[in-house]
Amino acid sequence: MSIFTPTNQIRLTNVAVVRMKKGGKRFEIACYKNKVMSWRSGAEKDLDEVLQTNTVFVNVSKGQVAKKDDLKAFGTEDLTEICKQILSKGELQVSDKERHSQLEQMFRDIATIVAEKCVNPETKRPYTVNLIERAMKDIHYSVKANKSTKQQALEVIKQLKESIQIQRAHMRVRCVWPAKDGKRLKEKLKSLIKVVESEDFDDELEMVCLIDPGCFREIDELIRCETKGKGALEVLSLKDVEEGDERLE
Amino acid sequence: MGHTILEKIIALQKKTSNIRNLCILAHVDHGKTTLADCLVANNGIISSRLAGKLRYLDSREDEQIRGITMKSSGISLHYTTGGNEYLINLIDSPGHVDFSSEVSTAVRLCDGAIVVVDAVEGVCPQTQVVLRQAWLENIRPVLVINKIDRLIVELKLTSQEAFTHLQKILEQVNAVTGALFTSKVLEERAEKDADATSSCTENSSGDQVYDWSAGLEETDDSDLYFSPDQGNVVFASAIDGWGFRIHQFAEMYSQKMGIRSSVLLKTLWGDFYINAKVKKIMKGAQAKGKKPLFVQLVLDNIWNLYDAVVTRRDKEKVEKMVTSLGLKVMSRDLRHSDPRVLLSAICSQWLPVSQAVLSMVCEKLPSPAEIVAERVEKLMSVGARRFDSLPEKTQELKKAFLDCSADEMAPVIVFVSKMFAVDSKALPQNKKRPLTQEEIAQRRELARQRHGERQAANQSTETSGSVDAGGTSILAAPATSSVTDALCAQTEALSVKTAVEEEGKEQFVAFARVYSGVIRKGQKVFVLGPKFDPSLALRMLSGGCSATDALPTIPHMACCTVDSLYLLMGRELEELDEVPSGNVLGIGGMEEFILKSATISTSLACPPFTPLNFEATPIVRVAVEPKHPSEMPKLVRGMRLLNQADPCAEVLIQETGEHVLVTAGEMHLQRCLDDLRERFAKIEISASKPIIPFRETVVRPPTLDMVNEELGKQQKVAVIHQVKEEQTKYPEGVQVDSTGLVMLTTSNKMATVGVRAIPLPEDATRLLEDNVELIRTMVQLSLFAWEGKTLDINQKILENIQDFKVKLESHLQGHKWRGAVERIWAFGPRRCGPNILLNNIEGYQRPSVWQCLKCVKEKEKAEATTLRDFDNSIVSGFQLATLSGPMCEEPLMGVCFSVETWDMKLSTPPAQQDSVDENSVSQCAETSNDNQSLSSELQDVHETDMSTTGSNRSRSRVEAMGSSVDCYGPYSGQLIASVKEACRYAFQAKPQRLMAAMYTCEIMATADVLGRMYGVLSKREGRVLHEEMKEGTDMFIIKAVLPVAESFGFADEIRKRTSGLACPQLVFSHWEVISSDPFWVPTTEEEYLHFGEKADSANQALKYMNAVRKRKGLYVEEKIVEHAEKQRTLGKNK
Repeated sequence: MSIFTPTNQIRLTNVAVVRMKKGGKRFEIACYKNKVMSWRSGAEKDLDEVLQTNTVFVNVSKGQVAKKDDLKAFGTEDLTEICKQILSKGELQVSDKERHSQLEQMFRDIATIVAEKCVNPETKRPYTVNLIERAMKDIHYSVKANKSTKQQALEVIKQLKESIQIQRAHMRVRCVWPAKDGKRLKEKLKSLIKVVESEDFDDELEMVCLIDPGCFREIDELIRCETKGKGALEVLSLKDVEEGDERLE
Repeated sequence: MGHTILEKIIALQKKTSNIRNLCILAHVDHGKTTLADCLVANNGIISSRLAGKLRYLDSREDEQIRGITMKSSGISLHYTTGGNEYLINLIDSPGHVDFSSEVSTAVRLCDGAIVVVDAVEGVCPQTQVVLRQAWLENIRPVLVINKIDRLIVELKLTSQEAFTHLQKILEQVNAVTGALFTSKVLEERAEKDADATSSCTENSSGDQVYDWSAGLEETDDSDLYFSPDQGNVVFASAIDGWGFRIHQFAEMYSQKMGIRSSVLLKTLWGDFYINAKVKKIMKGAQAKGKKPLFVQLVLDNIWNLYDAVVTRRDKEKVEKMVTSLGLKVMSRDLRHSDPRVLLSAICSQWLPVSQAVLSMVCEKLPSPAEIVAERVEKLMSVGARRFDSLPEKTQELKKAFLDCSADEMAPVIVFVSKMFAVDSKALPQNKKRPLTQEEIAQRRELARQRHGERQAANQSTETSGSVDAGGTSILAAPATSSVTDALCAQTEALSVKTAVEEEGKEQFVAFARVYSGVIRKGQKVFVLGPKFDPSLALRMLSGGCSATDALPTIPHMACCTVDSLYLLMGRELEELDEVPSGNVLGIGGMEEFILKSATISTSLACPPFTPLNFEATPIVRVAVEPKHPSEMPKLVRGMRLLNQADPCAEVLIQETGEHVLVTAGEMHLQRCLDDLRERFAKIEISASKPIIPFRETVVRPPTLDMVNEELGKQQKVAVIHQVKEEQTKYPEGVQVDSTGLVMLTTSNKMATVGVRAIPLPEDATRLLEDNVELIRTMVQLSLFAWEGKTLDINQKILENIQDFKVKLESHLQGHKWRGAVERIWAFGPRRCGPNILLNNIEGYQRPSVWQCLKCVKEKEKAEATTLRDFDNSIVSGFQLATLSGPMCEEPLMGVCFSVETWDMKLSTPPAQQDSVDENSVSQCAETSNDNQSLSSELQDVHETDMSTTGSNRSRSRVEAMGSSVDCYGPYSGQLIASVKEACRYAFQAKPQRLMAAMYTCEIMATADVLGRMYGVLSKREGRVLHEEMKEGTDMFIIKAVLPVAESFGFADEIRKRTSGLACPQLVFSHWEVISSDPFWVPTTEEEYLHFGEKADSANQALKYMNAVRKRKGLYVEEKIVEHAEKQRTLGKNK
């Protein structure tokens, strides 16, 4: 049946309803789909492109307009102002397009953070964002909209370690402490340090080593507590990565 | 290929004077490979019936599919003429412009070249290029005018018209050669002046019939030009298998007509006709309306043949012709429905193209022994070095070159022009060959044994399958049988894997030529890289020594044993034991020593050969990634192999982690990707546009608006825009005054900083950029000084720094910058970038960055000012801010942040500090929702404050002195964060601009495509800097700048639009500010009139910025749906 037969049903199409409770009553406004989020983020500046009408309803689908008395709760008579209030504070069903674009953006963001923080341990070079995105898709990572991207990025790194060669870029630090604490402290630090690059014993113990950025605080605390403030920790470089372009030969 | 020929070739290799090394050069699709096919067929390697269709030398699959040659490949042929036997080392080269590097590698190894020109298309861009290449390498060209059949069948020209057409083509070719010659003459005008004038005058010489070209022979450049009467031109149709030189006809007719063949030879080509009455050859056929001799005697015959065979299909006439020519045609061919079959059957007997071409080659092209001294000197003197400046011993080698002797005593000199990958299965030693009865019996015994073992071991069915796999590989070669023996011993699955690897491995064979001496299997030789310096080596090892001795390591030199030598036979390789000088060969087992090209010698005095001159430089850049990220190591290995196998491709890993492949063109790119996929990496890969870097900067407020009206006079119309912008840009707690000074307080209300952003002058930015290394050393020096260590500094570096400082002062002039250089606090990002942090705080003194200049360092007592201790936090904040700007998180450039105020509530007692910390923690908690994110946030603060490296020691000291134990550094962390924010807001308070990376683009183009080339340039936002004409040619050299962002596909487009007549080269040059404001909206009345309220017209800067933001997953101000009413939201069934 491809013939279009008109029905007496009038559907609410292209309408997104924004609801808000104010003064114990529910108010609704009728907006266009996919537009409310743009308004909230400031991308859409034309109110007429957002609102279907500036009437405030009690129930949009039934077409019940809110009573004037009830609107007093907003503290203004101006319907447009009330609509703006509801638009900015009301709750709404996020449309699939909006959700999709939001998730996609978060996905990218996570990938960018991961790419910034990590390196390929073999080459000491970062991975590209594209590659991380692909790897994330490979492990079927799903973005959670209500968690911060940074947190999710840390989670992703953990999961990615199983499929590709990746690790947090090491931090290069130099620690110095008096020699009398030397041995004892070193033992304690041993588990936290990845690679010791150089070691120098005289009246002070000086070490240059690579550590995981995650345990920086721990190390710092250890050194400070154990040496009672005589030791020092100094960051030589935040990310131990290769610099410059390399010709493959 | 039979053994007889192989043996013959080995024998011939020793006769240097009978060797011809030559390559076939032409524009794409002019019939090089077809011609090569005909020559190969002459040797019986392929059937002559298939010649022209098989394209024997196109051994790659994609070459066969696309129908173009993509690599140069060699084959050795044997040719006998007049009792002399010749060895012809033929190299077929690709004609497509993308593969001109392959042409260079081929030309280097040859002494002569066959230049093929399409009779219909004439001289094409690549024809010019290859002629130039041949000219530059000093090799002698001969001409083949191919596809004459097209003149008859397709264009349907009469023989008369065809003659004029051919004349025209010949003129064109000679014009190109002439242009090359004149441009060389112009370059060396002083010496060659006389020559040039004589070559001009001689053309007008005499009405006399016989010495028509006599004047030409005397002059220096006579052998440069192509002329049929000189015998260096062949007219051919390779597809139909015929070709001739006018010699053949001259001889034929001299008997028939009784005219001396030498006379006939000279008059057969040109404006001559035969006067039947007086039986004399007269000049001026055209003027008198007579048929020229060439038409009458030569072309008419061919035309008649085509007419009879192809057009009219007149069987009787054909038979008559066949018998009159004395040929035998098989009845099978006569009956064939396709007339072309008959035609080629007749032609290939009557005028076989291989005979014509090969005899010409043997006559006209020099043998390796006749190498010209001039060419030797050119080969031996690298770069701008003159031959005379080379060490004496090296100069002596010139004699070896000239002798080209295969003597035992002669030093071995071999040049490797490229490495090509061969499947190890294709190598002769691994090849299947018929087994003798004995061997078969032996194998059977072995197999039986193994079978028994296997049953005894009682292995699973799966493993038995794998042994079968091993068993089949036994047949392959005795070499692998040892592998399979080992296979039994080990666990099956593992060893099968190794066997597979063994088989699938690519082996590299060096494409080389022996210039002197004899190279033998097992010989020890030196491999000299392109940068090897003989004088250095000679100094290091005084006295003679051979490759067998132990040697000290010399840069760019390696010592190795020759593994195997091959005779190149197109798709196949034949193993050889030794190769005497003058031959083209393949050398195996060199892949570890040779990257792309090298010189192999037994003498260390041998200089590396001059680098190949490539016509096309690689300019098409793509980023390559594996489909599955876990296959990264395979990709890297594959790219290394590709780099070795391709003379022109470049691969590099960028700082961003991208693997970039740079190729000469789209076609080349396709081939490289195919190679990566199927041969080298064997994984799925994807190629994409490389990431384009940008920089962010601020500029002075513009005085003109977008419609060139002065700003400030009209009132702003769009106040709404402005107000909204202002509100969104700055959150609470940030105060911005009208001059762009931003005041920001840390979240614990302890410190307030005031920062202002100022654009740096362009020159200063460039100076900073150029001196990155210097700044880095400076920073290191001051770091040491900070720690109280002393470091002896090189006087030269100090001078450089002083110099740099003076220059910087000269660039920063004007009252705004007074004393600024002295007050520079830091550079950034990464402490050495092109941004400056200025200390404009009143009453705050800190050691300047120039302190390393002061020779006497006054001991700086730790001043107790707390400000000093937080000094580093400010710098860190600045470093962070400059690393990623607010526009699209790209680094800043050319921005000066001047810190104007810095207030701190000092000396907080420990208790209070604690509460403050709590404060800050609670503030953090407000912003973050749950505990977890709080911790991550805190950690973040940590990471940020470390970010900028540097001595945080001072900070730790602070902690040690003042603050309580438990919370490390939230205070300094906060300071860093707020300085960073302050810098960002200060940046935003100024007019922001994007900076785009720019290429300088040098384009060589002929005058007639200039217009179209400009079209492409301007479409891609390019700007022409200047254009000039190259002296002595009709080439223009255009210099332009082009944004990197627009360069993707540029080379391809410009080639397409100019039909290959313009070839661009791109080199990164500088950063340039994009003049349009990415945040621009129309504000004045005029702008409203001009652009409308929304200003939808494309804003280049905004486009770039949004692209970057989208790529990074940052927020892009973009509506999901543009027009609310215009979206379809109904379901399908409603």
